[in-house]
Amino acid sequence: MRFRAEPYIEFARKAFAREATYRMEVLTEVVSLVLRVYLLRSLWTALYAQNVAPFGLPLHSMITYATVALLMSLILEVDGTRSIREKIREGTIATDLMKPISLPMYFFSDGVGQTLVHALLVVPSLIFALFLVHVDLPASPQAALAFAFSFLLGYLVNFFLNFLMNAIAFWTLETFAIQLIVRWVSDLLSGQIIPLTFFPGIFGRILFALPFAAIYSTPLLIYVGLIRPAQYELYFIAQALWLALFGLLSMVVWRAAARRVVIQGG
Amino acid sequence: MPIIRTRNLCKSFRSVKRETGPAGALRTLFSRKYVEKVAVRNVNMALEAGELVGYIGPNGAGKSTTIKMLTGILVPTSGIIEVDGLVPYKARKENAKHIGVVFGQRSQLYWDLPLIESFELLRAIYAIPRDRYAANLRYFTEVLEMSEFLQTPVRQLSLGQRMRGDFAAAMLHDPKIIYLDEPTIGLDIVAKEAIRDFIRTINEQRGTTVILTTHDLADVERLSQRIILIDRGTIIYDGPIERIKEQYGTHRILVVTMSEPQRSLELPDAELISNEGIVARFRFDRNGVRADQLIRVAAERFPITDVSIEEPNLESIIRRIYIEGYEDPLLERSR
Repeated sequence: MRFRAEPYIEFARKAFAREATYRMEVLTEVVSLVLRVYLLRSLWTALYAQNVAPFGLPLHSMITYATVALLMSLILEVDGTRSIREKIREGTIATDLMKPISLPMYFFSDGVGQTLVHALLVVPSLIFALFLVHVDLPASPQAALAFAFSFLLGYLVNFFLNFLMNAIAFWTLETFAIQLIVRWVSDLLSGQIIPLTFFPGIFGRILFALPFAAIYSTPLLIYVGLIRPAQYELYFIAQALWLALFGLLSMVVWRAAARRVVIQGG
Repeated sequence: MPIIRTRNLCKSFRSVKRETGPAGALRTLFSRKYVEKVAVRNVNMALEAGELVGYIGPNGAGKSTTIKMLTGILVPTSGIIEVDGLVPYKARKENAKHIGVVFGQRSQLYWDLPLIESFELLRAIYAIPRDRYAANLRYFTEVLEMSEFLQTPVRQLSLGQRMRGDFAAAMLHDPKIIYLDEPTIGLDIVAKEAIRDFIRTINEQRGTTVILTTHDLADVERLSQRIILIDRGTIIYDGPIERIKEQYGTHRILVVTMSEPQRSLELPDAELISNEGIVARFRFDRNGVRADQLIRVAAERFPITDVSIEEPNLESIIRRIYIEGYEDPLLERSR
């Protein structure tokens, strides 16, 4: 069957419109983000007062890192595939499967639509954040471009990781505990809160080798210049490898899941 | 050449056997014993294009499982299944282009968006040509009287309006077959009538093949000539409604209202089927005993204030079949 993009563009548009109807939620998100920017600034300033410029990251770079990480989380914390779980539990996945569409593509486009709403929030959030903190620009236009590309790869890795987590629902129907653990682990180990360069010795090196690093750490370290242009290629390859692996795994899992769709209720 | 054909279609589910109690729960975690449950057993059916068939059975009889196999979202355990020349589970997406589905209990419309937006989305999903889409939208808006609420978000619609929206949504792409799963559940009488009229209209005017599963036998009685009865995964009757009525139609119910409740009630050649307060119901075979004789005896024995005789409707017949199982009375007589 020839692939038609039209339904998926429509899905993204509808998800965008749907997400945009929750105006209050959108507003709270901006407020909560600005609040977190303020808290992190206080935290890092206090920590740096005790310990001057650890690991080659001066305070202003650290605050830039933390603020950009928060802005990225606006986009990355949207879990477009969360609906897989709900759809399986409520059995509505049955009606979706009765349509001539690819469901993984549906979830992806729906997720993109939701993400776009939150991406729009980056602008007001940044403006408000700038009242509280100073944010450095990327070191060079080249670094800015590399950051954007790396962020895109991170977004896709994150999508497939979420997809895999939510697809567990096809087997257990309850995925909350697994989700929570993975979320905690990934929050800590992805470099979202603390730069991975802060973790000492062999432990730190292991973290760089984990897939979580591909989501936040790589783009952020490119942004603040701790990953130098000469190293870009290596890090891009690492991200691309995780993307390929998770993408492939998602395909395998989806095939297996589609074969054993046991919709609740007879 | 039937549009839907199944041959010895079977589906069984395997589920983890759960043991009771805390110790049992722990055991369930570690050692997995599976129980095999047969949901559908050797189902044979053949539907011609343009038919409107009632697919009837109690909860858990295997109706939904059959429908899910016909729509291609469940893989049969064994047997042959063919819908419009396709094997649904092998060609789910291709099959999906030619079918429409309506579930009374869950909507497939976008909850937060105006109804029209869901339709627009479906146009994109099914690649409905613009002019065809416009014509269908106009037609369904008129027939289902949707013009007032096309722009209303689905969550603000009444159940009746939502169901009409769901019907239009299932029909916009001119499906050859439409599966209806309890489409009138929860609707008031007027809305039910409107939906029934609509089902009849699309079946007659557009030649859409309709499979209707429902608990409301009035739907079936009003709409279809043919019913398929399934019980515990097996088809127990497939044929005209008239025939099943004739077979069971020799039974009548004598309803007796009395001035005060009676503890024991008995009538010759009639079976007491219920005795609630001052109303008692007897079943009798009109070939075995005459109603007027029965009433006379009843009048002698009980303080009767009113009597009436009920002819069996489809619902009472089916209820009896669920409880007693189906036996072909013609076969029984010749034995």
